[in-house]
Amino acid sequence: MAQDPLQTTYDAVVVGSGATGGWAAKQLGEAGLKVALLEAGRAVSPKEFTEHMPSYKLKYRDHSPEVVRTRPVQKQCYACMEYNYEWFVNDLENPYSTPPGKPFTWQRLRILGGRSLVWGRQSYRLSDNDFKAAGRDGYGDDWPIGYADLAPYYDIVERYVGISGATEGNEMLPDGQFLPPMKMSCGEVQLRARVKAKFGHTVTIGRTAILTQNHNGRLACHYCGPCERGCSTFSYFSSPFTTVKDALASGNCTLFTNAVVSHVDMDTEPNKTRGVTYVDRLTRQVKEVRGKAVILCAQALESTRILLNSSTREYPNGLANSGGALGHYLMDHVVGAGASGRLPEFKTLPNANEPERPNGIYVPRFRNTPSSKRHSRFIRGYGYQGGAEAGFNFSAEGYGASLKKAVKEGEYGISLGAFGESLARWDNYIEIDRDLKDAWGIPALRISMTHGDNEAALMEDAGATAAEMLEAAGAKDIRVQAGVEMPGMAIHELGTARMGNDPKKSVLNAFNQAHDVKNLFVMDGASFVSSACQNPTLTMMALTVRACDHLIGRFRKGEI
Amino acid sequence: MKRRDLIRGSVLAGAAAALRPSLAAAQSVAQQPSELTPAQSGVDASKDLAAPGWKPLFLDEHQNETLIVLSDLIIPATDTPGAKEALVNRYIDLVLAAETPETQRTFLNSLGYVDGESMRRFKAAFRYLSREDQDILLHGLAYPRIGGGWAGDTGAVADPGHGHFEALKGRIMSAYYSSQIGEKELGWDGAFAHGPYQGCEHPEGDHK
Repeated sequence: MAQDPLQTTYDAVVVGSGATGGWAAKQLGEAGLKVALLEAGRAVSPKEFTEHMPSYKLKYRDHSPEVVRTRPVQKQCYACMEYNYEWFVNDLENPYSTPPGKPFTWQRLRILGGRSLVWGRQSYRLSDNDFKAAGRDGYGDDWPIGYADLAPYYDIVERYVGISGATEGNEMLPDGQFLPPMKMSCGEVQLRARVKAKFGHTVTIGRTAILTQNHNGRLACHYCGPCERGCSTFSYFSSPFTTVKDALASGNCTLFTNAVVSHVDMDTEPNKTRGVTYVDRLTRQVKEVRGKAVILCAQALESTRILLNSSTREYPNGLANSGGALGHYLMDHVVGAGASGRLPEFKTLPNANEPERPNGIYVPRFRNTPSSKRHSRFIRGYGYQGGAEAGFNFSAEGYGASLKKAVKEGEYGISLGAFGESLARWDNYIEIDRDLKDAWGIPALRISMTHGDNEAALMEDAGATAAEMLEAAGAKDIRVQAGVEMPGMAIHELGTARMGNDPKKSVLNAFNQAHDVKNLFVMDGASFVSSACQNPTLTMMALTVRACDHLIGRFRKGEI
Repeated sequence: MKRRDLIRGSVLAGAAAALRPSLAAAQSVAQQPSELTPAQSGVDASKDLAAPGWKPLFLDEHQNETLIVLSDLIIPATDTPGAKEALVNRYIDLVLAAETPETQRTFLNSLGYVDGESMRRFKAAFRYLSREDQDILLHGLAYPRIGGGWAGDTGAVADPGHGHFEALKGRIMSAYYSSQIGEKELGWDGAFAHGPYQGCEHPEGDHK
């Protein structure tokens, strides 16, 4: 670690070491740029992985009062457990506020690798049906880029990360550079065949950032199951053991852990940043790191929080915010609808010693596509994630020896759950809460978001349609959910520093570069113009590699 | 070498190969033991409940004994150990001791309901009933009630007893199947990997 960072002016200061920050550090470091990589949390070691620890070794078997006390928000996510809760932020130290009646759950990790340590790993490309959706249905704004601009970068990311999946030729879900797909269960194969026959829709195996063969020095998945507790064979993609490792190996990247960035610093020259200021997480010392370019990869809301906390005389409402869009158009995929049931015709005897596939199935969006008619009640659409397998019947009725037997006899379950597009709306926004600070004295966010009528209509349709699909597959005892969960539950926060060609309506240009401050970049989900309905991390990484390509070119031309 | 050891061996080799010196050095500087969960620090709490001299933290003696009797009825020893051997009462007591007063009250209310019904019908607390009477009482609670049927009314009726039974059964089942005995009951061999996922290998349309 650098002892006196002010003696050095780095070519680039990258804030955040997760999925996108890791890529930025790798890309720039390997191109020969001197990079400072700042992470708010500590480093992580494979020694703390717990994926092979049975729950009976936990004192509270995942009902720890310490998690309840210190992570009341974080534990709303299944991945925050008694095993690993220290990876998640302490909610007492990291507050945020919401207006009355507008709850929002914000899941955060401050540790090397960030949320890439616990992410869901589903990896899907967007298509021009997403990038150019506004031009098709008239709502919102198109992205300043199209699929052809991003496709080569999707290729780069997929080849490096290792995405297992099946090619489908689906108009809404472009195929990519896939490792061999994981297999489907019997119930899933039947669902796929019958949904295609009856509705013409595609059911495919989930495209996931988990290796199905050894790849780039990492081992194939050994199917133990709980990826969110770490992976001793590094089979799922997480940045500390891939991109960050490469960045450090380049010899051009210096890692600063425990560096909680408070704001971006401006140079005496107008519209130019000179680096960032951070608070040492452990000592509370305030320090500065200087760079010719600043790249925020801190997670959508955190990156925008840093900009909102970087106001100057020229930019009183947040840095690089001359157009006023900073903080607005917050999105998070709408969830809360789907269906579940039983497939009684399949073998029900579950086996505790079967390999656990850490992946499900995926139904790409089929509403409002170029080949389907426009839906009368909503625009855009949703995709399903789900699965079918034999499981132990913990809801068996009765008691006694017959109950023990019924649990082991099990049942064959099937389910689908929707992820719907969250429309970009000006009135979903974040701002600084002047009365609330985090444990490092940095002003905290106030998050104002609701899902609207279109999202509710999507979920209503998604519940009923999932039931239709399960019925076609032969399911019995079908149960439907058609609600709208609180925003944040999808953990796909997007927007608040959107891209665009018009500086009056956007914060960043098509290369994730601030319109107002040319050596300032935001390379994470904050840059999204629309949410589409696909899991966004793959697109965030591809955008980052593309933006870094552009930045390297400008460095070589001497423009930065 | 057991399969589990094999995996662990390959795991550590992989970890060593993955960590170049620069990252490893940064990690050793920043590592804060206090910032690991007990699990991440390698703490194994699986023997805690069997400690000699165990005493309940939350339940009184009668409640604890009632819970033992009830759990033994709901998940009895058969050809495999049951809830009593799995010390289900001790785990439930531990969790309840850390719960909110409201959750504690809800649990005690359910346990008290069983004793209340027992006193009303058999004039004795549940734990003192004969096995036969315990079964009569539990069978009346274990299944949801519907209307009389003679007048065509077969809909569900308000049934607090079944709700209390389900709440107690849920806690007992969760405690049993998360114990080491419970994992064995489900047939788990103790290994964490069992080869690649095979999926469906049947011909299209024939999954029998």
